[in-house]
Amino acid sequence: MEDASFWHRLQFAFTITYHYLFPQLTMGLAWFLVYWKWRGLRTGDEEYNRAARFWAKIFGLNFAVGVVTGIPMEFQFGTNWAGFSKYGGGVIGQTLAMEGMFAFFLESAFIGALIWGEKRLGPRYHFLAALAVALGSWLSGYFILVTNAFMQHPVGYRVQADGALGIDSLSTYLLNPWAWVQFAHNQMAALVTGSFVVAALGAFYCLRGLHPAQARLYLRAGTVAALMASILVAFPTGDQQAKMVGRHQPVTLAAMEGRFVGGSMASVALIGQPNVAKRRLDNPIEIPGALSFLAYGHFGSNVEGLDAFPRDSWPDNIELLYYSFHLMITLGTIFIVLMAYAGFQNLRGRLESTRWLLWVLMLAFPFPYIANTLGWMTAELGRQPWLIYGLFHTSDGHSKVVSSGDTVFTLIGFVGLYLVLGVLFLFLVGREISHGPGDVLSAEPEEEPDL
Amino acid sequence: MIAAWYGIAAFMLIVYVVLDGRNFGAGMLHWLVARTPQERRQVIAAIGPLWSWHEVWLVAFGGTVFAVFPKLLASAFAGYYLALFLILWCLILRGISLEVGGHINDRMWQGFWDFVFVLANSLLAILFGAAAGNMARGVPLASGGTFSMAFFTDFAPRGYVGLLDWYTLSVAIFAAVALAAHGATYLMLKTRGIVHDRSAVYARGLWAAAALLMLVISVESAAVRPDVLGHAIHNVCWWLGLLLVCVAAIALVAGLATRREMLAFIGSNLLLASLLATSAAAIFPVVLHSTLAPENSLTAYDVAASPQSLAYAAIWWPIGFALAATYFVFVSRRYAGKVSVQRDNQGFY
Repeated sequence: MEDASFWHRLQFAFTITYHYLFPQLTMGLAWFLVYWKWRGLRTGDEEYNRAARFWAKIFGLNFAVGVVTGIPMEFQFGTNWAGFSKYGGGVIGQTLAMEGMFAFFLESAFIGALIWGEKRLGPRYHFLAALAVALGSWLSGYFILVTNAFMQHPVGYRVQADGALGIDSLSTYLLNPWAWVQFAHNQMAALVTGSFVVAALGAFYCLRGLHPAQARLYLRAGTVAALMASILVAFPTGDQQAKMVGRHQPVTLAAMEGRFVGGSMASVALIGQPNVAKRRLDNPIEIPGALSFLAYGHFGSNVEGLDAFPRDSWPDNIELLYYSFHLMITLGTIFIVLMAYAGFQNLRGRLESTRWLLWVLMLAFPFPYIANTLGWMTAELGRQPWLIYGLFHTSDGHSKVVSSGDTVFTLIGFVGLYLVLGVLFLFLVGREISHGPGDVLSAEPEEEPDL
Repeated sequence: MIAAWYGIAAFMLIVYVVLDGRNFGAGMLHWLVARTPQERRQVIAAIGPLWSWHEVWLVAFGGTVFAVFPKLLASAFAGYYLALFLILWCLILRGISLEVGGHINDRMWQGFWDFVFVLANSLLAILFGAAAGNMARGVPLASGGTFSMAFFTDFAPRGYVGLLDWYTLSVAIFAAVALAAHGATYLMLKTRGIVHDRSAVYARGLWAAAALLMLVISVESAAVRPDVLGHAIHNVCWWLGLLLVCVAAIALVAGLATRREMLAFIGSNLLLASLLATSAAAIFPVVLHSTLAPENSLTAYDVAASPQSLAYAAIWWPIGFALAATYFVFVSRRYAGKVSVQRDNQGFY
């Protein structure tokens, strides 16, 4: 039933892609909150607390949508991917449970304190709550990436008598080198999203002439963090990630680059469209030797093409994989250039007065979301046709008892519900932005009014 | 080892039901105990800061089951496909109604989200109750360890059953009443003024109704699953559970009668917990009973992960749980006492 597998994949792809729009901002923004709470605590400057309080509201909305869209993800392992759960649950269940026990408990115990509890907690505990939430969100990311890394590059497992997988070494599984590289790359990408969003709002307030002190704070913190994160996401983390793919999934690297024929002096295509039927890249503009150098460190290195691998081991959607990967790289490069220029203007003291740059910064914030999504599409499409690389095919993973009609039904349900959620989220965030950062915190009312 | 993991999984589910059950209950009673916008903000403030902390126990439970009983998750979740998505969508709506309702201080806006809040919580209580009924009654499990079933068939709890039949429906009704009583007890503890007084009245009435329904359910359960009782009387945990039920019931009745709200609330938590623990002990070791043929039933031993996976989980789980217990103390201390609408809001108005 190829048909059923397709719908299960589409539902998971849709729900996870939508879900991940929220955690990537949470994970990026969390450190801004920690930083501002820390600065506020140290300097006593109320501007920092104002910034933290304002962003905590946006963080809270974002976090809430992240939580409610995240719960279906865990359920879907059982509902939609029973074959995979039976086969691999003994391994990946470990990290999914650890995520709940170590990360979600931490986050959810303190998120209420962070969002609802400034008056109850006082500044010191409120800072600690921000720190706990930031740590929890990154820890959660690590456990998920260990799970994904196992699917990309399985380690630490053993095939049991009944054919299913069990853990052989938990430390090997948790310290999967793929997971470290992917975690570093992914978290930097989340910081790019968070810092672009902070900078964009600073730019908006600046252009509007609203809340000037706050706008300056957002712009400076946002652009500085964005420059650092944009560089780190490309080098060393992105570079290491590509090398990891080259080492463990050479067929994936060939497909990502649209490289149908192998050889030395492998080039990187700047422009070109893969033509899978004719097995070539149409109208390419290429940098010769660049791929050899990037993947193996020498221009002369041989990089295998798709022709070196049997047809049924190729990723099943080479075009989408190729475009995802190339567009991600292109966007990442533009991010570095843009933020380097913003940093330059900042040093000259002209960041707030260069209006065209403010416009660009304001309108740039959706692109890190796109780049993050494309990165995940590269990772997941590149892994195909495997669900666990080299061990378990995607086509064996879905729940055989669930008909494709049921899956289409729930998929449509999610699309509708998430559309409403998205509109609601944008409306409420827009409202917070138009209200802007509030004034100093009002004193706590001592008595309840008569009810 | 496997029996211990069964106990741990049951324990985590019980914590979830006890914690989130107060939200379901308060949600169901929201319109009845709180009538003006100001009164309703009190109910929301009693739940708002804590709902995600409560809901995460469901996620941690699910994750733990996935780690130690992966084949149970695979079999049961795929079989309950549509019902589970209904629960998921209700959970999404419940969380969202709490988070966004307080953002705009407007009667229509808050009225709408109050409606979503009441609806989602009521459906959740009923759906989780029906799920509990399904666990007790069993599902049409085929020999391969898989099943799929309709929402309802002929409403008889035998053979090719559906999600709903007269037995699971009555369990669902009991669950709704008991959780509403639990929620009323919680609101009585956390609120002041007229909301408190109304909650106290509802708590007494609903617990009386729940006690009656409990008797009915017990008789029904003995009729639907006559094999369970003969099995359970040899299980010491089942007897301990029954003892706890009695202790909890006494504490609850004493608390309600003498208006000691904390005692009543402890009794309420303990009563729900011990009822669930008794049921979990009664059905052990079967985790998924087959209504078609007893030999198709899945036991905890059939669905467990490898011994090594369980051994690893036995290392990190206690650490994770100790940390969670620490947060629990923090959360309970921070939100002890009556709620304050001024203080326990998100600061949006």
